[in-house]
Amino acid sequence: MKRSDLQSNLAMMIVLLSGAMLFATLFMGYAIYRTSAPVWPPLGIPKISLFIPFLSTLVISVSSWFAYQFKTYVKVSNFIKAHSNLNWTLLTGFGFLAMQSYFWFHLKNTGVFLGTSGIFGSVIYGYTWIHAIHMVLGLGSLTYLKIVLRPETVNVLQKAINVEKFWHFLGIIWIIMFLTLFVL
Amino acid sequence: MSGGFNEIHPEPTTFWDKYIISFDHKVIAKQFLWYGIFFLGLGGMMALLIRWTLAYPGVPFPVLGNILFSQSGGVVPPDTYAMLFTMHGTIMIFYAITPILIGAFGNYCIPLMIGARDMAFPMLNMLSFWFAFLSGVVLLISLFLPLGAAAGGWTSYPTLSTIIGSPGAGQTLWCLAIFLFGASSTMGAVNYVTTVITLRAPGMGYFDMPLTVWGLWLTAILNAIFVPVLGAGVILLMMDRVMGTTFFLAGASATSGSGDPVLFQHVFWIFGHPEVYILILPAWGIVSDLLSFFSRKPAFGAKATALAMTAVTVLSTLVYGHHMFTTQMSPLLTQSFMTLTMTISIPSAIFFANWLGTIWKGSIRFDSPMLFSLGVVFVFGLGGLTGLHLGTVTTDLYLHDTYFVVGHFHYTMAASVLLGGFAGIYFWFPKMFGKMMNETMAKIHFWGTMIPLNGIFFGMLMIGYGGMHRRIYNPFVYESLKRLIPINQMITTSAIIMGAFQILFVINFIWSLRKGAKAPNNPWEVGTLEWTIPSPPVHHNYDVIPVVKCGPHELGNPNLKNGRDFQYQTEELVEG
Repeated sequence: MKRSDLQSNLAMMIVLLSGAMLFATLFMGYAIYRTSAPVWPPLGIPKISLFIPFLSTLVISVSSWFAYQFKTYVKVSNFIKAHSNLNWTLLTGFGFLAMQSYFWFHLKNTGVFLGTSGIFGSVIYGYTWIHAIHMVLGLGSLTYLKIVLRPETVNVLQKAINVEKFWHFLGIIWIIMFLTLFVL
Repeated sequence: MSGGFNEIHPEPTTFWDKYIISFDHKVIAKQFLWYGIFFLGLGGMMALLIRWTLAYPGVPFPVLGNILFSQSGGVVPPDTYAMLFTMHGTIMIFYAITPILIGAFGNYCIPLMIGARDMAFPMLNMLSFWFAFLSGVVLLISLFLPLGAAAGGWTSYPTLSTIIGSPGAGQTLWCLAIFLFGASSTMGAVNYVTTVITLRAPGMGYFDMPLTVWGLWLTAILNAIFVPVLGAGVILLMMDRVMGTTFFLAGASATSGSGDPVLFQHVFWIFGHPEVYILILPAWGIVSDLLSFFSRKPAFGAKATALAMTAVTVLSTLVYGHHMFTTQMSPLLTQSFMTLTMTISIPSAIFFANWLGTIWKGSIRFDSPMLFSLGVVFVFGLGGLTGLHLGTVTTDLYLHDTYFVVGHFHYTMAASVLLGGFAGIYFWFPKMFGKMMNETMAKIHFWGTMIPLNGIFFGMLMIGYGGMHRRIYNPFVYESLKRLIPINQMITTSAIIMGAFQILFVINFIWSLRKGAKAPNNPWEVGTLEWTIPSPPVHHNYDVIPVVKCGPHELGNPNLKNGRDFQYQTEELVEG
């Protein structure tokens, strides 16, 4: 492995470790809220349909798969297929965000509000917003890749690997969020 | 993974590229140094205002009082007092100590001491400074808001820090500033860790690294892991304040289900206890090296010192609960945290004994960096010992939230780090600026700092033991505390004296920059890599990447025949 690639890999791992600690803190908080609440969701909070979060999970998983394909094609220097898979990654990524937006409207229509639904509303809105902000950063990185994805770009493979890792990270965080906030 | 992927970057030519958005680690180090010194002065002024209020309640602050607090006749008002101790703590920890010890020394020393031409990611390094700068600006703006700056203490516990406890935008800007500073620290951590792992000179194993680099490296690892924890906490706190969420609100404030104010304390101290070591580890590393250099002896048990620092780093992540013994924590937990806290004494005692072993029978040179290093040994010893009282549940219950705590953490986090920082500045100033500082002024500065410093912080231990609580505007409304007024006046007098002697440091610093004698390449006669190159170093540090052949503390070797009592790390170890 080239030294610059090693540096880049190492740096990305540290970034992901830092990101993981941020989300781990949020999940720790959630565990405390859940275990100290007599009932969950708290009384007066309507049950939330799993349908939209489940679809979001499906979309972000597919997006992760496209990201993996994209990186694989960059590795073998097939830039036409790499571009195509990157387009799909971007599309599904934006699709995920669109579904999240719809989910927030749906929550509001169901009667779950940010300010007046207590800790339940705070967690559902707050955590998904924090994840969405990270998704925006991920989409920004993918868009940057879209612009520079050419054979002559310096370290293009390493850039693709790093963005792919970040994208998978966001997918994993969402799946944990889906399982803990919505399913359990 | 030593070796060198070290390109020579072209030297910048314009003022903008050279000094403002410089990618050069040496320039960024100096930017952090100026930044840290500015905030050190500001935080120091706030400390004087706090001390004056405690020693002479109701008496106008001399000279500045009428300008700053004209509406109260020059007397610090109670709400301003709360803002002062909040901002003093915040500024000193995040905006003075961190930039100087980690930002300045980390940036300056790591590449030079490991034989690299720059950091692994120079652009990220530049961004790290400007994020810190932006954070500092946000914090300063909060001082001028209509309802004032944050006033919930540097720990910003809810409910003091919620919109109910702290109306106005000051606390919100505090959260934003801390978040931005966290982003800056994380960027720095990514750079430091990667640089140490991938850019060490050929031949330099981990145990061939100077202990300064060890300290900075371990600090960076802690930063990368634990700063995001605080980041998460302040994001949620900010959402509570701005968007109406209820993460840290309990009871009537939350209409359906409730948040948990104590959760913030957990989050804060999961970050906060490692933060203590984030601040102190660089100072430990610097002192471990300087004690060896100025004793003209190899560092006693250097590997054990490095491993002990690593052990402290690991243990520091497991002990945060000792800050929360009084939050109705279960006895099982308090005893677990107490035991783990006591365990830290073992590695701490190892490297402390190694420090003493290093200076034992050394040919000690009492130059200013050594004086300050010896000062660290003394004050850290005291700080560490008083920590035992607070790590033990039974005594902590009595001492919690008293000035004993304030005295303890000032001995460890303020006195040790401040003296360690001064040791570093006096030691590397010749390399940084190519000029020597005035040694006589430096020694006067040392004694003018060391003696009153102990007057301040030992005095705090005494009044704390006497029952005086922290963060009270006028403790002497309580009859039982009136007997502590004279000690408080002694503390304040000491603080004024210490503050006055810092002016001497500033004069020496500026005078030396302009008129100081030209520094030779190696004025202290030590062998680490940065002293093999000119003072100040050229833009790319090393024309040829050095090859390391021996450790950083090869001093006093009786087999040396060349008239020197030290070896450079680039020289083969001379054996008999």
